Amino acid sequence: MQKADRQLITFALTICVTCSVLLSAIAAGLKERQERQVELDRKMNVLIAFGVDTRDAETGRRISAERVEQYFSEQIREVVLDAESGREIAPEDVDLVAIREKRQLPLFKWEEDGEVQKYAFPTSGQGLWSTIYGFLALERDLATIAGITFFRHGETPGLGGEVDRSWFQEQFVGKRLLDDDGAPVRFQVVKGGVENRYPDGNEHAVDGISGATITGDGVARFVTEDFRRYNKFFETIRGS
Amino acid sequence: MATAKKIISDPLSDNNPITIQVLGICSALAVTVQMETAFVMACALTAVLTSSNVIISLLRNHIPSRIRMIVEVSVIASLVVIVDQVLRAYLFELSRQLSIFVGLIITNCIVMGRAEAFAIQNPPGKSFMDGLGNSLGYSVILLLVASGREILGSGTWYGLNVLPQNYLGNGLAVLAPGAFLILGVIIWVQRTVTNNFKDD
Repeated sequence: MQKADRQLITFALTICVTCSVLLSAIAAGLKERQERQVELDRKMNVLIAFGVDTRDAETGRRISAERVEQYFSEQIREVVLDAESGREIAPEDVDLVAIREKRQLPLFKWEEDGEVQKYAFPTSGQGLWSTIYGFLALERDLATIAGITFFRHGETPGLGGEVDRSWFQEQFVGKRLLDDDGAPVRFQVVKGGVENRYPDGNEHAVDGISGATITGDGVARFVTEDFRRYNKFFETIRGS
Repeated sequence: MATAKKIISDPLSDNNPITIQVLGICSALAVTVQMETAFVMACALTAVLTSSNVIISLLRNHIPSRIRMIVEVSVIASLVVIVDQVLRAYLFELSRQLSIFVGLIITNCIVMGRAEAFAIQNPPGKSFMDGLGNSLGYSVILLLVASGREILGSGTWYGLNVLPQNYLGNGLAVLAPGAFLILGVIIWVQRTVTNNFKDD
Protein backbone atom coordinates (compact mmCIF):
# COMPACT_ATOMS: atom_id res chain seq x y z
CA MET A 1 0.00 0.00 0.00
CA GLN A 2 2.68 2.43 1.06
CA LYS A 3 4.85 1.46 -1.87
CA ALA A 4 1.96 1.99 -4.28
CA ASP A 5 1.34 5.42 -2.81
CA ARG A 6 4.97 6.35 -3.21
CA GLN A 7 4.94 5.22 -6.84
CA LEU A 8 1.81 7.20 -7.48
CA ILE A 9 3.28 10.38 -6.05
CA THR A 10 6.55 9.89 -7.93
CA PHE A 11 4.66 9.38 -11.17
CA ALA A 12 2.46 12.43 -10.63
CA LEU A 13 5.47 14.57 -9.77
CA THR A 14 7.37 13.39 -12.83
CA ILE A 15 4.45 14.25 -15.12
CA CYS A 16 4.02 17.67 -13.53
CA VAL A 17 7.70 18.56 -13.71
CA THR A 18 8.08 17.30 -17.29
CA CYS A 19 5.03 19.19 -18.50
CA SER A 20 5.97 22.44 -16.79
CA VAL A 21 9.59 22.38 -17.92
CA LEU A 22 8.48 21.66 -21.49
CA LEU A 23 5.87 24.41 -21.49
CA SER A 24 8.21 26.98 -19.94
CA ALA A 25 10.87 26.18 -22.50
CA ILE A 26 8.45 26.54 -25.39
CA ALA A 27 6.89 29.72 -24.05
CA ALA A 28 10.32 31.27 -23.50
CA GLY A 29 11.52 30.16 -26.92
CA LEU A 30 8.56 31.63 -28.77
CA LYS A 31 8.24 34.80 -26.70
CA GLU A 32 10.32 37.05 -28.90
CA ARG A 33 8.46 36.01 -32.04
CA GLN A 34 5.09 36.48 -30.38
CA GLU A 35 6.05 39.96 -29.22
CA ARG A 36 7.11 40.84 -32.75
CA GLN A 37 3.69 39.70 -33.97
CA VAL A 38 1.91 41.85 -31.36
CA GLU A 39 4.00 44.85 -32.36
CA LEU A 40 3.28 44.23 -36.04
CA ASP A 41 -0.43 44.00 -35.26
CA ARG A 42 -0.25 47.31 -33.40
CA LYS A 43 1.42 49.01 -36.35
CA MET A 44 -1.03 47.38 -38.76
CA ASN A 45 -3.88 48.92 -36.79
CA VAL A 46 -2.31 52.37 -36.88
CA LEU A 47 -2.31 51.97 -40.66
CA ILE A 48 -5.96 50.87 -40.64
CA ALA A 49 -6.90 53.93 -38.59
CA PHE A 50 -5.11 56.11 -41.13
CA GLY A 51 -7.28 54.51 -43.81
CA VAL A 52 -4.51 52.49 -45.48
CA ASP A 53 -5.82 49.39 -47.22
CA THR A 54 -3.92 46.70 -45.34
CA ARG A 55 -5.26 43.87 -47.44
CA ASP A 56 -3.92 42.96 -50.81
CA ALA A 57 -6.75 43.61 -53.27
CA GLU A 58 -6.14 40.37 -55.19
CA THR A 59 -5.38 37.79 -52.55
CA GLY A 60 -7.17 39.34 -49.57
CA ARG A 61 -4.09 38.61 -47.45
CA ARG A 62 -2.58 41.11 -45.09
CA ILE A 63 0.26 43.21 -46.42
CA SER A 64 3.74 42.04 -45.48
CA ALA A 65 5.68 43.08 -42.39
CA GLU A 66 8.23 44.80 -44.65
CA ARG A 67 5.50 46.89 -46.25
CA VAL A 68 4.24 47.95 -42.80
CA GLU A 69 7.75 48.95 -41.76
CA GLN A 70 8.11 50.85 -45.02
CA TYR A 71 4.98 52.90 -44.25
CA PHE A 72 6.33 53.59 -40.79
CA SER A 73 9.72 54.74 -42.02
CA GLU A 74 8.47 56.75 -45.00
CA GLN A 75 5.19 58.33 -43.99
CA ILE A 76 4.61 57.97 -40.29
CA ARG A 77 6.41 59.84 -37.57
CA GLU A 78 5.83 58.84 -33.98
CA VAL A 79 6.19 61.37 -31.18
CA VAL A 80 5.27 61.28 -27.51
CA LEU A 81 3.56 64.20 -25.79
CA ASP A 82 3.52 65.22 -22.18
CA ALA A 83 -0.11 65.15 -21.02
CA GLU A 84 0.41 67.98 -18.55
CA SER A 85 1.97 70.54 -20.86
CA GLY A 86 0.88 69.20 -24.24
CA ARG A 87 4.46 69.43 -25.54
CA GLU A 88 6.52 66.85 -27.37
CA ILE A 89 9.05 65.16 -25.13
CA ALA A 90 12.53 63.94 -25.95
CA PRO A 91 12.82 60.25 -26.91
CA GLU A 92 15.04 59.51 -23.89
CA ASP A 93 12.31 60.68 -21.48
CA VAL A 94 9.66 58.33 -22.88
CA ASP A 95 8.43 56.02 -20.14
CA LEU A 96 6.22 53.00 -20.90
CA VAL A 97 4.56 53.13 -17.48
CA ALA A 98 3.69 56.78 -17.99
CA ILE A 99 2.22 55.89 -21.40
CA ARG A 100 0.08 53.20 -19.85
CA GLU A 101 -1.16 55.65 -17.22
CA LYS A 102 -1.77 58.20 -19.98
CA ARG A 103 0.60 60.76 -18.47
CA GLN A 104 2.58 60.51 -21.68
CA LEU A 105 0.69 60.37 -24.96
CA PRO A 106 2.00 58.72 -28.14
CA LEU A 107 0.98 60.44 -31.37
CA PHE A 108 1.43 59.27 -34.95
CA LYS A 109 1.71 61.79 -37.76
CA TRP A 110 0.96 60.84 -41.35
CA GLU A 111 3.17 62.91 -43.59
CA GLU A 112 2.97 63.53 -47.30
CA ASP A 113 5.62 65.70 -48.98
CA GLY A 114 6.85 66.89 -45.59
CA GLU A 115 3.43 68.06 -44.47
CA VAL A 116 1.32 66.38 -41.80
CA GLN A 117 -1.98 65.27 -43.32
CA LYS A 118 -3.46 63.17 -40.52
CA TYR A 119 -2.88 62.41 -36.87
CA ALA A 120 -3.57 59.20 -34.97
CA PHE A 121 -3.39 58.24 -31.33
CA PRO A 122 -4.13 55.15 -29.24
CA THR A 123 -7.41 55.14 -27.39
CA SER A 124 -8.49 52.62 -24.80
CA GLY A 125 -10.87 52.12 -21.91
CA GLN A 126 -13.33 49.87 -20.21
CA GLY A 127 -16.12 48.19 -22.14
CA LEU A 128 -18.34 45.74 -20.30
CA TRP A 129 -15.96 42.87 -19.54
CA SER A 130 -12.61 44.12 -20.68
CA THR A 131 -10.39 46.96 -21.71
CA ILE A 132 -10.89 47.82 -25.38
CA TYR A 133 -7.81 49.01 -27.28
CA GLY A 134 -7.86 50.96 -30.50
CA PHE A 135 -6.47 53.80 -32.57
CA LEU A 136 -8.24 56.97 -33.63
CA ALA A 137 -7.10 59.00 -36.63
CA LEU A 138 -8.04 62.63 -37.22
CA GLU A 139 -8.03 64.71 -40.38
CA ARG A 140 -5.83 67.78 -40.70
CA ASP A 141 -8.42 69.98 -38.96
CA LEU A 142 -7.85 67.89 -35.81
CA ALA A 143 -11.59 67.58 -35.25
CA THR A 144 -12.94 65.26 -37.97
CA ILE A 145 -12.43 61.54 -37.52
CA ALA A 146 -10.50 59.99 -40.40
CA GLY A 147 -10.71 56.44 -39.12
CA ILE A 148 -10.94 54.32 -36.02
CA THR A 149 -10.04 50.77 -35.20
CA PHE A 150 -10.62 48.61 -32.16
CA PHE A 151 -8.37 45.60 -32.28
CA ARG A 152 -8.04 44.13 -28.84
CA HIS A 153 -10.86 43.44 -26.45
CA GLY A 154 -12.59 40.70 -24.50
CA GLU A 155 -16.20 41.67 -25.18
CA THR A 156 -18.91 39.09 -25.95
CA PRO A 157 -18.63 37.87 -29.55
CA GLY A 158 -21.69 38.94 -31.53
CA LEU A 159 -22.65 41.64 -29.00
CA GLY A 160 -19.97 43.98 -27.64
CA GLY A 161 -17.44 42.10 -29.73
CA GLU A 162 -18.94 43.81 -32.80
CA VAL A 163 -16.74 46.85 -32.01
CA ASP A 164 -14.02 45.18 -34.05
CA ARG A 165 -16.29 44.92 -37.11
CA SER A 166 -16.05 47.31 -40.01
CA TRP A 167 -19.75 48.32 -39.98
CA PHE A 168 -19.30 49.78 -36.51
CA GLN A 169 -15.95 51.41 -37.14
CA GLU A 170 -16.85 52.89 -40.53
CA GLN A 171 -19.62 54.97 -38.96
CA PHE A 172 -17.03 57.08 -37.14
CA VAL A 173 -15.45 58.38 -40.35
CA GLY A 174 -16.43 62.01 -40.93
CA LYS A 175 -17.87 62.52 -37.45
CA ARG A 176 -16.55 65.49 -35.48
CA LEU A 177 -15.10 65.72 -31.98
CA LEU A 178 -15.36 69.52 -31.75
CA ASP A 179 -18.59 71.53 -31.73
CA ASP A 180 -19.16 74.65 -33.84
CA ASP A 181 -17.50 76.84 -31.19
CA GLY A 182 -14.38 74.67 -31.24
CA ALA A 183 -14.97 73.04 -27.85
CA PRO A 184 -14.58 69.25 -27.39
CA VAL A 185 -17.94 67.48 -27.47
CA ARG A 186 -19.16 64.54 -25.48
CA PHE A 187 -19.19 61.91 -28.21
CA GLN A 188 -22.16 59.53 -28.20
CA VAL A 189 -22.78 55.93 -29.15
CA VAL A 190 -26.55 55.96 -29.38
CA LYS A 191 -28.69 53.07 -28.24
CA GLY A 192 -31.45 52.47 -30.79
CA GLY A 193 -29.65 54.39 -33.53
CA VAL A 194 -28.78 58.00 -34.22
CA GLU A 195 -31.69 58.47 -36.65
CA ASN A 196 -34.30 57.70 -34.02
CA ARG A 197 -32.97 60.07 -31.42
CA TYR A 198 -31.77 62.82 -33.75
CA PRO A 199 -34.00 62.87 -36.85
CA ASP A 200 -31.91 65.71 -38.30
CA GLY A 201 -28.71 63.75 -37.87
CA ASN A 202 -25.91 64.32 -35.42
CA GLU A 203 -22.29 64.69 -36.39
CA HIS A 204 -21.11 63.80 -32.89
CA ALA A 205 -22.81 60.41 -32.61
CA VAL A 206 -22.82 56.91 -34.11
CA ASP A 207 -25.26 53.99 -33.88
CA GLY A 208 -24.81 51.67 -30.95
CA ILE A 209 -24.74 47.87 -31.05
CA SER A 210 -27.92 46.00 -30.13
CA GLY A 211 -27.42 44.19 -26.87
CA ALA A 212 -24.20 46.01 -26.07
CA THR A 213 -25.26 49.30 -24.48
CA ILE A 214 -22.53 49.28 -21.84
CA THR A 215 -19.81 48.51 -24.36
CA GLY A 216 -21.07 51.41 -26.51
CA ASP A 217 -21.20 53.80 -23.56
CA GLY A 218 -17.65 52.77 -22.69
CA VAL A 219 -16.42 53.45 -26.22
CA ALA A 220 -18.12 56.87 -26.27
CA ARG A 221 -16.61 57.75 -22.89
CA PHE A 222 -13.02 56.78 -23.57
CA VAL A 223 -12.98 58.27 -27.08
CA THR A 224 -14.21 61.56 -25.59
CA GLU A 225 -11.73 61.45 -22.70
CA ASP A 226 -8.72 60.50 -24.81
CA PHE A 227 -9.49 63.23 -27.34
CA ARG A 228 -9.56 65.79 -24.53
CA ARG A 229 -6.15 64.59 -23.34
CA TYR A 230 -4.64 65.29 -26.76
CA ASN A 231 -6.64 68.43 -27.41
CA LYS A 232 -4.19 70.57 -25.38
CA PHE A 233 -1.53 69.74 -27.96
CA PHE A 234 -3.95 70.03 -30.88
CA GLU A 235 -4.88 73.56 -29.82
CA THR A 236 -1.28 74.67 -30.15
CA ILE A 237 -1.23 73.32 -33.71
CA ARG A 238 -4.56 74.86 -34.64
CA GLY A 239 -3.36 78.18 -33.21
CA SER A 240 -0.21 78.25 -35.29
CA MET B 1 -8.66 -7.17 -33.39
CA ALA B 2 -9.34 -4.34 -35.76
CA THR B 3 -6.97 -4.01 -38.67
CA ALA B 4 -4.99 -0.84 -39.25
CA LYS B 5 -7.14 0.10 -42.18
CA LYS B 6 -10.31 -0.26 -40.19
CA ILE B 7 -8.90 1.79 -37.31
CA ILE B 8 -8.45 4.70 -39.68
CA SER B 9 -11.51 4.27 -41.88
CA ASP B 10 -14.02 3.56 -39.14
CA PRO B 11 -14.07 7.05 -37.61
CA LEU B 12 -14.29 8.60 -41.07
CA SER B 13 -17.78 7.34 -41.60
CA ASP B 14 -19.34 4.48 -39.62
CA ASN B 15 -18.15 5.79 -36.28
CA ASN B 16 -17.53 9.45 -37.05
CA PRO B 17 -16.87 11.43 -33.84
CA ILE B 18 -19.06 14.35 -34.88
CA THR B 19 -21.93 12.91 -36.90
CA ILE B 20 -22.34 9.56 -35.13
CA GLN B 21 -21.02 10.17 -31.62
CA VAL B 22 -22.00 13.87 -31.70
CA LEU B 23 -18.80 15.01 -29.93
CA GLY B 24 -16.83 18.18 -30.56
CA ILE B 25 -19.92 20.07 -31.67
CA CYS B 26 -18.93 23.30 -29.89
CA SER B 27 -15.86 23.91 -32.05
CA ALA B 28 -17.58 22.50 -35.15
CA LEU B 29 -20.10 25.33 -34.83
CA ALA B 30 -17.74 28.05 -33.70
CA VAL B 31 -14.88 28.00 -36.18
CA THR B 32 -16.65 27.04 -39.40
CA VAL B 33 -17.60 30.47 -40.77
CA GLN B 34 -14.62 30.31 -43.12
CA MET B 35 -12.55 27.49 -44.54
CA GLU B 36 -9.31 28.99 -43.31
CA THR B 37 -10.14 28.93 -39.60
CA ALA B 38 -11.76 25.51 -39.92
CA PHE B 39 -8.65 24.17 -41.63
CA VAL B 40 -6.29 25.51 -38.97
CA MET B 41 -8.56 24.18 -36.24
CA ALA B 42 -8.62 20.76 -37.91
CA CYS B 43 -4.81 20.77 -38.07
CA ALA B 44 -4.57 21.83 -34.42
CA LEU B 45 -6.89 19.02 -33.33
CA THR B 46 -5.04 16.49 -35.47
CA ALA B 47 -1.73 17.49 -33.88
CA VAL B 48 -3.14 17.29 -30.36
CA LEU B 49 -5.16 14.09 -30.79
CA THR B 50 -2.49 12.01 -32.53
CA SER B 51 0.28 13.05 -30.14
CA SER B 52 -1.86 12.68 -27.03
CA ASN B 53 -2.88 9.19 -28.15
CA VAL B 54 0.74 8.20 -28.73
CA ILE B 55 2.02 9.66 -25.45
CA ILE B 56 -0.75 8.14 -23.36
CA SER B 57 -0.31 4.82 -25.10
CA LEU B 58 3.43 4.88 -24.32
CA LEU B 59 2.67 5.63 -20.66
CA ARG B 60 -0.25 3.21 -20.43
CA ASN B 61 1.57 0.53 -18.45
CA HIS B 62 3.00 3.04 -15.96
CA ILE B 63 0.03 5.30 -15.25
CA PRO B 64 -1.43 4.46 -11.81
CA SER B 65 -5.10 3.81 -12.45
CA ARG B 66 -6.23 6.09 -9.62
CA ILE B 67 -4.81 9.20 -11.29
CA ARG B 68 -5.31 7.98 -14.85
CA MET B 69 -7.64 10.76 -15.93
CA ILE B 70 -5.63 13.54 -14.33
CA VAL B 71 -2.53 12.34 -16.15
CA GLU B 72 -4.46 12.23 -19.43
CA VAL B 73 -5.71 15.77 -18.94
CA SER B 74 -2.21 17.00 -18.05
CA VAL B 75 -0.80 15.53 -21.24
CA ILE B 76 -3.65 16.90 -23.39
CA ALA B 77 -3.55 20.34 -21.77
CA SER B 78 0.21 20.62 -22.27
CA LEU B 79 -0.12 19.71 -25.94
CA VAL B 80 -2.91 22.25 -26.43
CA VAL B 81 -0.87 25.02 -24.81
CA ILE B 82 2.03 24.19 -27.11
CA VAL B 83 -0.20 24.36 -30.20
CA ASP B 84 -1.71 27.64 -28.99
CA GLN B 85 1.72 29.19 -28.39
CA VAL B 86 2.96 28.11 -31.80
CA LEU B 87 -0.11 29.57 -33.52
CA ARG B 88 0.38 32.85 -31.70
CA ALA B 89 3.96 33.04 -32.85
CA TYR B 90 3.45 32.00 -36.46
CA LEU B 91 -0.21 32.56 -37.42
CA PHE B 92 -1.10 35.54 -35.27
CA GLU B 93 -4.18 36.75 -37.12
CA LEU B 94 -5.72 33.29 -37.35
CA SER B 95 -4.99 32.54 -33.72
CA ARG B 96 -6.91 35.67 -32.82
CA GLN B 97 -9.87 34.57 -34.93
CA LEU B 98 -9.82 31.13 -33.36
CA SER B 99 -9.55 32.89 -29.99
CA ILE B 100 -10.48 30.54 -27.17
CA PHE B 101 -11.39 27.59 -29.35
CA VAL B 102 -7.83 26.31 -29.64
CA GLY B 103 -7.60 26.37 -25.85
CA LEU B 104 -10.92 24.58 -25.65
CA ILE B 105 -9.47 21.56 -27.45
CA ILE B 106 -8.51 20.56 -23.89
CA THR B 107 -12.16 19.97 -23.14
CA ASN B 108 -12.97 18.51 -26.56
CA CYS B 109 -14.57 15.17 -25.73
CA ILE B 110 -13.00 13.54 -28.78
CA VAL B 111 -9.47 13.90 -27.40
CA MET B 112 -10.22 12.70 -23.89
CA GLY B 113 -12.57 10.08 -25.29
CA ARG B 114 -9.94 8.49 -27.54
CA ALA B 115 -7.40 8.52 -24.71
CA GLU B 116 -9.81 6.69 -22.42
CA ALA B 117 -11.39 4.39 -24.97
CA PHE B 118 -8.37 3.46 -27.05
CA ALA B 119 -4.91 4.76 -26.20
CA ILE B 120 -4.94 3.57 -22.59
CA GLN B 121 -5.19 -0.07 -23.69
CA ASN B 122 -3.52 -0.22 -27.11
CA PRO B 123 0.08 0.00 -28.36
CA PRO B 124 1.43 3.33 -29.72
CA GLY B 125 1.26 2.40 -33.40
CA LYS B 126 -2.42 1.57 -33.29
CA SER B 127 -3.15 4.52 -31.02
CA PHE B 128 -1.48 6.80 -33.53
CA MET B 129 -3.71 5.48 -36.30
CA ASP B 130 -6.77 5.74 -34.11
CA GLY B 131 -5.88 9.37 -33.36
CA LEU B 132 -5.29 10.08 -37.02
CA GLY B 133 -8.55 8.41 -38.06
CA ASN B 134 -10.61 10.33 -35.55
CA SER B 135 -8.89 13.61 -36.41
CA LEU B 136 -9.64 13.05 -40.06
CA GLY B 137 -13.24 12.19 -39.24
CA TYR B 138 -13.50 15.46 -37.31
CA SER B 139 -11.68 17.43 -40.00
CA VAL B 140 -13.83 16.16 -42.86
CA ILE B 141 -17.02 17.26 -41.13
CA LEU B 142 -15.51 20.58 -40.07
CA LEU B 143 -14.42 21.34 -43.62
CA LEU B 144 -17.79 20.28 -45.05
CA VAL B 145 -19.67 22.56 -42.66
CA ALA B 146 -17.20 25.39 -43.36
CA SER B 147 -17.56 24.91 -47.14
CA GLY B 148 -21.33 25.17 -46.87
CA ARG B 149 -21.22 28.17 -44.60
CA GLU B 150 -18.58 30.09 -46.51
CA ILE B 151 -20.20 29.49 -49.91
CA LEU B 152 -23.72 30.30 -48.75
CA GLY B 153 -22.65 33.04 -46.36
CA SER B 154 -20.06 34.94 -48.35
CA GLY B 155 -20.06 33.41 -51.84
CA THR B 156 -16.42 32.41 -51.46
CA TRP B 157 -14.50 29.20 -50.80
CA TYR B 158 -11.16 29.47 -49.05
CA GLY B 159 -11.26 33.17 -49.89
CA LEU B 160 -11.79 32.57 -53.61
CA ASN B 161 -14.94 33.81 -55.31
CA VAL B 162 -17.07 30.89 -56.40
CA LEU B 163 -20.43 32.58 -56.83
CA PRO B 164 -21.21 35.60 -59.04
CA GLN B 165 -19.86 38.90 -57.69
CA ASN B 166 -23.35 40.27 -57.10
CA TYR B 167 -24.20 37.44 -54.65
CA LEU B 168 -25.23 39.19 -51.45
CA GLY B 169 -24.41 36.49 -48.94
CA ASN B 170 -26.76 34.70 -46.62
CA GLY B 171 -26.54 36.11 -43.11
CA LEU B 172 -28.04 32.99 -41.56
CA ALA B 173 -25.18 30.82 -42.79
CA VAL B 174 -22.65 33.09 -41.12
CA LEU B 175 -24.35 32.90 -37.74
CA ALA B 176 -24.55 29.90 -35.43
CA PRO B 177 -27.99 28.70 -36.61
CA GLY B 178 -26.56 28.23 -40.11
CA ALA B 179 -23.97 25.86 -38.67
CA PHE B 180 -26.67 23.90 -36.85
CA LEU B 181 -28.72 23.54 -40.03
CA ILE B 182 -25.80 22.45 -42.19
CA LEU B 183 -24.49 20.08 -39.56
CA GLY B 184 -27.98 18.67 -39.12
CA VAL B 185 -28.28 18.00 -42.83
CA ILE B 186 -24.86 16.32 -42.90
CA ILE B 187 -25.78 14.10 -39.93
CA TRP B 188 -29.08 13.20 -41.59
CA VAL B 189 -27.49 12.30 -44.92
CA GLN B 190 -24.68 10.38 -43.30
CA ARG B 191 -26.86 8.35 -40.96
CA THR B 192 -29.19 7.50 -43.79
CA VAL B 193 -26.29 6.35 -45.95
CA THR B 194 -24.60 4.32 -43.20
CA ASN B 195 -27.95 3.13 -41.92
CA ASN B 196 -26.98 4.21 -38.45
CA PHE B 197 -30.08 5.50 -36.69
CA LYS B 198 -32.49 4.43 -34.05
CA ASP B 199 -35.82 3.37 -35.46
CA ASP B 200 -38.55 3.32 -32.90
